[in-house]
Amino acid sequence: MEARPRGWFPFRAVAGGMVREQTPRTSWSVPLVSVRNVAAGYGDETIIDGVSFDVAPGEIFAILGRSGCGKTTLFKVMMGLLEPYAGEVLIDGEPVVDVVGEAAEGVLRKIGVLFQSGALFTSMTLAENVAFPLRNHTDLSEATIGSLVRLKLSEVGLAGREGSLPAELSGGMRKRAALARAMALDPKILFFDEPSAGLDPVTSAELDEMILQINRSLNTTMVIVTHELPSILAVANRAIMLDREEKKIIAQGTPGDLASSEDPRVKSFFHRRPSGEAT
Amino acid sequence: MPFLEWIRERLRGGSPPVSTEETATPSPAEDLISTFSVDVGHGSFDELHLNVTGSIHMANAEKARKELLAAIDAEPLKNVVLDLTGVDYFDSSGVAILLELRRECSRRGNLLNLVNVGDRVQGLMSLADLEGPSREAILEPRPLPNLLVQIGDGVLKVHATARDSVTFIGAVITGLWRDLQRPGRLKWDPVWKLIERSGSDAVPIVSLLSFLMGAILAYQSANQLRKFGATLFVADLVSISICLEMGPLLTALIVAGRSGASYAAHIGTMQVTEEIDALKVMAMDPVRYLVSPRVLALAVVTPFLTLFADMLGIIGGLAVAVLSLDVTSTQYINQVAKVLEVDDILKGLCKSLAFGIEIAIVGCLRGFQVRGGAESVGAATTSAVVTSIFVIVITDAVFAVLFHYFRLV
Repeated sequence: MEARPRGWFPFRAVAGGMVREQTPRTSWSVPLVSVRNVAAGYGDETIIDGVSFDVAPGEIFAILGRSGCGKTTLFKVMMGLLEPYAGEVLIDGEPVVDVVGEAAEGVLRKIGVLFQSGALFTSMTLAENVAFPLRNHTDLSEATIGSLVRLKLSEVGLAGREGSLPAELSGGMRKRAALARAMALDPKILFFDEPSAGLDPVTSAELDEMILQINRSLNTTMVIVTHELPSILAVANRAIMLDREEKKIIAQGTPGDLASSEDPRVKSFFHRRPSGEAT
Repeated sequence: MPFLEWIRERLRGGSPPVSTEETATPSPAEDLISTFSVDVGHGSFDELHLNVTGSIHMANAEKARKELLAAIDAEPLKNVVLDLTGVDYFDSSGVAILLELRRECSRRGNLLNLVNVGDRVQGLMSLADLEGPSREAILEPRPLPNLLVQIGDGVLKVHATARDSVTFIGAVITGLWRDLQRPGRLKWDPVWKLIERSGSDAVPIVSLLSFLMGAILAYQSANQLRKFGATLFVADLVSISICLEMGPLLTALIVAGRSGASYAAHIGTMQVTEEIDALKVMAMDPVRYLVSPRVLALAVVTPFLTLFADMLGIIGGLAVAVLSLDVTSTQYINQVAKVLEVDDILKGLCKSLAFGIEIAIVGCLRGFQVRGGAESVGAATTSAVVTSIFVIVITDAVFAVLFHYFRLV
């Protein structure tokens, strides 16, 4: 359990200087992401209904569930890419509205997104990809942007690959480059859609380690959509689990709580058993 | 025999060497087909006992199916016992046949019992959901709804497409208007790149085709004009038709085929690979980021290309006039200067400006409409070209009426 900040001054003295106090990951914090009674789907088909939860600052929050349970739908609603049938999503107290409108710019500047495929711009080099949000949302000089790009790419272990095109990289490298782009504007919240999908176990573990490192050093709040058990257990502080039939949250708590749940659906998921054999 | 030697042998005209072993043994497929058989065994009075021997394989499955169904048909009132003792090979097609037999038996109120089922057959059957609901005719195309529903669906689809298109065009116009009000905020780098790709890279093909078009027009019309001894008027015909119609139209068709298709494919692929979503969550309006530069690029490039096409078309006419008609180059140029007015060229350029803007908007719109995968990108690309051509011709007709109405012709 981490200590709560003492007094109004959020720094503490250590040998050689001051460090910022870690924001506590407890439920009493003002939520950074608040999902309220969201119902969403495609056309006439409702995929999720009545989903509500809060994500505290500094937390690594996982959204779990089997394929088709609505994880990606919820993810899209949280970023404003899909309009919910009902309910709302607040990011840092501001509602996420239609993302194309200028009203959403303020909210979107606070988030960085790592898509499942990486979604790097294929016609741009890695450096240009990372520089893209900086060029479009800041007035920084090209020299500063260049330094920032080098810094961000080195943070994800891609120093020296600035001139490569996404097609010249492996799947893991593309994911890391996309992470560097997502972090370019130092967002308060990072969203990950299936970060380990299609990666080998070692690369996947390295990405998990990177996620933890970013969370520890920058205190970035993270929302991860995944069904990879090792990743969930390695990185998440808290998780919710969605269900395809119920269309809502069927369990929430720490990954440990969920792993020891008596609910057969949760049990099957955490023990990698077919749904009929969760006893 | 090594491969090269075999090739040499073939080149010399010799027949390919065939080993004696190959001719002696039948092919594996023939072997499998021939080994299947069904015998009717001795059962009780209400039981049909069928002994299956050999293999049931994709190659002989149809034969096996027919024989087994015929055996059941012959005794429609009896329960069936299928003895699989003699089966030495069995694949998924065998399971499919067993499922069909079971369906046939239960339709007649009979039972199908399997006896002496081997491990492989059991393994295959355990994978199949034999207890699940039978879904017949899953490979049949879905039945069409009645005509009224189809008409209703069509109207709704047209309405949705029209609404999306109008919304898109509105977003493009407002985006462009804002960009033109504050040109400093527009990213000009992509515009220059697009101008280069859609403009200067298209100069060779536009030049070649318009030169040929001018030459063809001159050649075809010369045959008629020669009858009246008026071959010099080839210059009038070529220059006016090229500048007013053929130049802008030909250029627009080339631009639609090159740039319109490329815009649709590019944006469509970005849609598939989530790059458009990435732009949105980075608070970048994809319409302004992707469409405005393309519209601007084609608005600049198409009139310039048309100007090239006009010049090369007239030169094509000149080449034919000088080489195969009794017209000197001076006569031809003087005649062109006499009949061709700046107005004619401006009218053509005015049309080509509209064509360029339309091609860019249509290409981008089709790209944004991509849903799904590669097939959808292909369809969007085709649709971008076809729609562009349609829109170009309609616009051309509208311009013709407008020019006539305002007595500009």
